[in-house]
Amino acid sequence: MKSSFGVIWNIAATTVGEAIHRRILLIILLIGVVLLSVIPTLSILTARSQTSITIGTMYAVMRGISAMIAIILTIYMIPNEIERRTIYTILSKPVQRWQFFVGKYVGAMLALALMIALMTIFMVGIFWVFQHPTPAKLLEISQQPVLYWMEMCLLAAVAICLSTFIAPLINFFLTLGIWLVGTVLNPLYSSVAGDSNTPPILKASSKLITEILPNFANYDTKNPIINPGQNITNQGAYYSFVIVYGLLYICVLLIIGGIIFDRREV
Amino acid sequence: MSLFKRYQKVIIAAIVLFIAQGALQQVYIYNYWQKNYSPQSGELFASELAPEQILLNLLGFREFLAGILWVRADGFFDSGNYDAILPIIRLCTLLDPHEIDIYATGMWHIGYNFTDQDQRSDRRYIPIALALGKDGVKNNPDTYELYFEMGWMYFNKIQDDPDQALKWFELSNSKKDVLPAREDLLANAYFHNGQITQGLDTYYRLYNDAVKRTNADNVFANSQIRDTLEANIDNTIIRMLQRGYLAQQRNDGSYQKGDYDTLNPFDVGLSAKITVVNPRVVSVEGTWNVLPVGTHLRFIIRDLNYPDAKPAELDWNKDTTVSFNLPTDRTYMQDDLFVKDRRFSKTIDMSKDITIYPFTAPNYLMEIYYNPRFAPPHLQDKFGWSGEGMTDKNYLNTSIRPGIRCIYCTLQLSRDQILMRGPWADQHASVQTPNFKSFDTNQSDTDIVKVPTLRGGG
Repeated sequence: MKSSFGVIWNIAATTVGEAIHRRILLIILLIGVVLLSVIPTLSILTARSQTSITIGTMYAVMRGISAMIAIILTIYMIPNEIERRTIYTILSKPVQRWQFFVGKYVGAMLALALMIALMTIFMVGIFWVFQHPTPAKLLEISQQPVLYWMEMCLLAAVAICLSTFIAPLINFFLTLGIWLVGTVLNPLYSSVAGDSNTPPILKASSKLITEILPNFANYDTKNPIINPGQNITNQGAYYSFVIVYGLLYICVLLIIGGIIFDRREV
Repeated sequence: MSLFKRYQKVIIAAIVLFIAQGALQQVYIYNYWQKNYSPQSGELFASELAPEQILLNLLGFREFLAGILWVRADGFFDSGNYDAILPIIRLCTLLDPHEIDIYATGMWHIGYNFTDQDQRSDRRYIPIALALGKDGVKNNPDTYELYFEMGWMYFNKIQDDPDQALKWFELSNSKKDVLPAREDLLANAYFHNGQITQGLDTYYRLYNDAVKRTNADNVFANSQIRDTLEANIDNTIIRMLQRGYLAQQRNDGSYQKGDYDTLNPFDVGLSAKITVVNPRVVSVEGTWNVLPVGTHLRFIIRDLNYPDAKPAELDWNKDTTVSFNLPTDRTYMQDDLFVKDRRFSKTIDMSKDITIYPFTAPNYLMEIYYNPRFAPPHLQDKFGWSGEGMTDKNYLNTSIRPGIRCIYCTLQLSRDQILMRGPWADQHASVQTPNFKSFDTNQSDTDIVKVPTLRGGG
């Protein structure tokens, strides 16, 4: 009898195979690659900040495309298995529902890693061709996609958790909304907290929202990369903490999703 | 079995994990992110953004969007639609607070280019330009450029607060990336602030740096800066000697005994007459007994009780936030009167720009002002840096600018007089200084300031 890890791994591997054969995801990936390739021409928008605009826009494209892939990949995972009745075949074997659920999620994480890695390689290549940066600069701009991957894992956890009890179309917009709100939580909170005219109740509620909702803004660390000159200390510690934060939130979402899926009639 | 009992352990684990992520977010992550990764722009949802622009902003295309908007602003600039540029400048700086060119161009545009029909810049915009510059400095504290732009605004456009120009140029020069060609303005700011010795010391320090740079790399740019600084040092020393500055600093009576150009203060003989020639149109004429060209007298018309007014200036430093809403019920007009052949005459038309010059207050103060600290060198050679070689038996003022002998004259007109209303509907109101005489009888041909020369024996 296979261990839980073995079961989860098998389901994850199958999920990765399915993901890379899904045309819609490949088309979105292709759109991302096309957008990344035209971004260097945008340097005409500025006289002295070509690098800032180029990298900033590349990151934005990569983040947006990754989010679309993460959402579309995960919102259909569980509902499709149920609709096609393939889930019966799987659950008739010695596979528990939580193992199936977690396996699907791990597969989504791996598929996202693959696609973000492809976009990163392409982005770095394009950047190298047009701007001839130093290897240190290339290494620097390659760090942000790692955090984007973590962000997309969190986003996928939101989507797969919601997919256990919400129809895919509604889930798409709900997850997209949560992501959009989550990407501005930190700037929004600093706006509210920094304004002396804001009522204390509003400050307290905005703080609470920042603690409750998944905070995707934590993973946006591009500012010092596109605007060099800042002296940042303990960046490694921040990366570690923000990954831990993501893992904690993902665990919570998987537990909630797992319980709902476990109790669901299929 | 209830839900909680069945999943008791995992539910408790989920609650613990949830609390842990919230604590981590508040205790460490947010503070670190805010300090190091925030784009430093507080207004994420600027009200001027169109919905699709907000979406682009949300998706992280801030720099891209700022670039697009700046290109659009350039188009407005080419077509002369200056008003449309203001909100775009602010939007661009909110979206990309590290785009220094937008701050610098925006400051210049706001401070210099908003003019009335006669191309007089609307000075009420200057505090806004300064507020934008301060915002830029806050967001870009490590580069010299916006410190320099702030200094230049005070030094060139405002002039009244030389200590502010000095402060910003000192900050600019303290940055590693400052261009050598821009460093010497600090010396001039010292001169404007009356710190002549410190200005000379600055020239010497910059000269030594320039010599080192030239020895290391003898390119034209380096040697040119070195030679310019050398000439500036020579001129400054000669001026300090001829103007009796060093003798005054010694304070041993040698100044009074010497043959210094600034001794025996020259009476500039200011007189003025202001006539309302049409509603909101005034004619200013008068005398200034200095023959050499180069004299600019400042002329101001403002509400008698203008809230931010100081003698012959406004409180330029009052704005801390960038807002383009100017007061529509206050009037402040500032212009220069150019002296030629010892007289000045100018007609100032404020009738075409009622939003700039609303004339809603009951009474108006008119100020004529001259500060030798900002005079061209050939006049300063006689008047001195602080006006010690200049006097006026009627309008010499030593109190409005401490340490400087200024010429300051005020007159008043009422709203009815300026708008030619009520009892003044059929009359041209006119006010004048008691000593005003018509041009042809005022001057004595022998009473002309002798302009010293830097040439030996001249």
